[in-house]
Amino acid sequence: MGHTATGKRTAVAARIAALAVALMLLVPTSAFALTTNKATARPNEDGGSSVIGGLPTRLTWEGSVEDGEEVTEVTLTLPEGSSFDGSTTKVTVLEGLSRASIDSEVAASGSMLTVSFAEPATSGLLLRLEVEGMHFPDDGGDVVVSGTYVNQAGTQTLTDSKPIKTIANTSLQKMIASLDANPVVAAWNSNPFLGMFFKPQLLVTAFSTLVPGWLLCLVIVVVAYPFAIILGLIFALMKISKSRLLRAIAILYINILRGTPLFLQIYIMFFGLPMMNINIDNNVLGVIVIAINASAYLAEIFRAGIQSIPQGQYEAASSLGMSYFQTMFDIILPQTIRRVIPTVTSDFITSYKDTSLLSSVGVMELMMFAKNLTSVSGNMTPYVAAAIFYLIVTLPLIKAVGIVEERIANSERGGGPRPKDKGAKDMSVAEAEAKLSELAVHASALDDEHAFVPSLSPMNASFGTEV
Amino acid sequence: MSMLSRRQFVQASAFAAAGLLAGCGSSGGDAAPAADASEYTLVNEGKLTCISNLFFPPFESMNEATGEPEGFDIDVSKSLAEHMGLEVNWLPSQDFDTLVPTIKNGGKADVAIAGMTITDKRKEEVDMSDPYVDSNQSIVVKAGSSETAETLDDASKTIAVQGGTTGADWADENLPNATKKRLSTIIDAMSGVQSGLYDAVVCDLPVSRYQIKMSYSDLEIIEEIPTGEQYGIAVSKDNPGLTAAINAALAEMETDGSMDAIEAEWFGSAL
Repeated sequence: MGHTATGKRTAVAARIAALAVALMLLVPTSAFALTTNKATARPNEDGGSSVIGGLPTRLTWEGSVEDGEEVTEVTLTLPEGSSFDGSTTKVTVLEGLSRASIDSEVAASGSMLTVSFAEPATSGLLLRLEVEGMHFPDDGGDVVVSGTYVNQAGTQTLTDSKPIKTIANTSLQKMIASLDANPVVAAWNSNPFLGMFFKPQLLVTAFSTLVPGWLLCLVIVVVAYPFAIILGLIFALMKISKSRLLRAIAILYINILRGTPLFLQIYIMFFGLPMMNINIDNNVLGVIVIAINASAYLAEIFRAGIQSIPQGQYEAASSLGMSYFQTMFDIILPQTIRRVIPTVTSDFITSYKDTSLLSSVGVMELMMFAKNLTSVSGNMTPYVAAAIFYLIVTLPLIKAVGIVEERIANSERGGGPRPKDKGAKDMSVAEAEAKLSELAVHASALDDEHAFVPSLSPMNASFGTEV
Repeated sequence: MSMLSRRQFVQASAFAAAGLLAGCGSSGGDAAPAADASEYTLVNEGKLTCISNLFFPPFESMNEATGEPEGFDIDVSKSLAEHMGLEVNWLPSQDFDTLVPTIKNGGKADVAIAGMTITDKRKEEVDMSDPYVDSNQSIVVKAGSSETAETLDDASKTIAVQGGTTGADWADENLPNATKKRLSTIIDAMSGVQSGLYDAVVCDLPVSRYQIKMSYSDLEIIEEIPTGEQYGIAVSKDNPGLTAAINAALAEMETDGSMDAIEAEWFGSAL
């Protein structure tokens, strides 16, 4: 590549200049001419941000060669208990932003690492050592990188780096280490599919690190949903109102929100609002987006629910002298609620899953944590763990929807639990119920398509304990 | 590998591909791929199937008008395929952090060409080709902001990065106190800084320079971080022959000037 040649040329020129300066002065004036810029370590806690002792990580050390200096060797020393054994080191020499080609050799043993350069690194160059697979002491603590370097005048001491904070090995990491050592686990992971999607080590890590994200998902949807229900109800009533304007507003609101992807709505809210100088906390904004989106779906569910209540109910109410609002809130809506519970629960499940889209705008919810862990580990297992977290909530809800639907279907047919049901019931109650259900069967058989008779029974029930 | 053997190799593989196509007509293609001529396997015979995250201009992006992938890496892939006697086939964009697992698992794509820095960590999962371009890191903030690398290392600051990138690693390591948000694309990150959602982005310097020049004129680079990292092409470990063939083709592109031409097109000059 072009820059390599020029890099070399300038490096040679710089070297000659440096040599001249050095010769003129004969003795290097500064003892700390190789400045330690920084020493950092890559966090090696899965899904976390700590540097854990005793586990492989990467140490990055950077130093600049100062004026008049020719560095031929750098030795890094770590405190007792650290180890460079088994590590690989990438040496990068940079002049400004371009790479300078200086060959080097690395020798690592114990807590010492020596890099010797084939030709001296001259002033202005940045030396960058990335040591992959080294270990810090098991007990953690602040680690200072010290060492020596060799310039034309002999061996000099390196300035100590700022301390790197490390922590002791955690019990979770120890558990993972024991899984790592287990031959059964190794055999399991050797299958590409199982290893990629069901790696036990990562399942353990994921279950512990995904919890905050899972809780945030739950909080977002649980806080958003009551608002969604209220908003949905308002728009449902607007959509069936007699006022053309209210109807138009409701139709516009519902159709736009139902007709565009939630993803897009999230983008507009998260990127659009701050641009208009409206700054809302990300999590609150997440609640707002989910609530607004769900409200449009709920409005349609409620509207359908309200309109499924037979006209006779309205007539009966008005014959009793009830006003529109009395009819709505005392007669129609209680029955509607019963009927829409399964659909609303399904919509709740959808909204809960939709919180995953918030990860694209940086809300730290479940998918975000899973994505973090996947990008660190290069393995899909965290997504499987996230799926399990979603299922923990959705499966019981799906089951509940099934039960509620069955109950409603039963009561719409006019029957409660059948007498055959093995419930701990008094004989008398069972008998009475048997009679009742017989009557109900007769009634519905007599007049199946006439909605009035069967629809009375849910109305009565709704005034009871159910709602 | 010398020039001569490269030529022979290209001829041989082209010949083998032609032979295979002819063979398909009669035998239904159940004959083993011409393993003697090309010591590597491809997902689609005769095609170099590439994957990337196509939201990483100038290395890869989608043409606004046609939706076709374009960029430095795309041109590299075309030239690479040409030198190898293959056709190039780009699959739809996917998240950057899924590229290495996809290549590792195999079956979907032959190579990931995605402005991907060669790191030891990645080399544990996949093989990386020889480096084909150099890169560095950068910190990008809103123009006129008073942030520095020091002020950004604070719990109240949010740093946007692209998940799985060396920029994300750099932020984790050098800005440990700040909150890091890992996003799917660098566009999401830059838009977020523009709108004030995040305080800064850490990403590859060529990308931030290009993005600021082309579309995010209200952002600025506050720090150019020399890391001297180099991009390589990710190939499955099960396919060492392909890595070797790619390395040979890359070397040839360096010598015959195709790489310089691509660099000139996307960066204004040969690097």
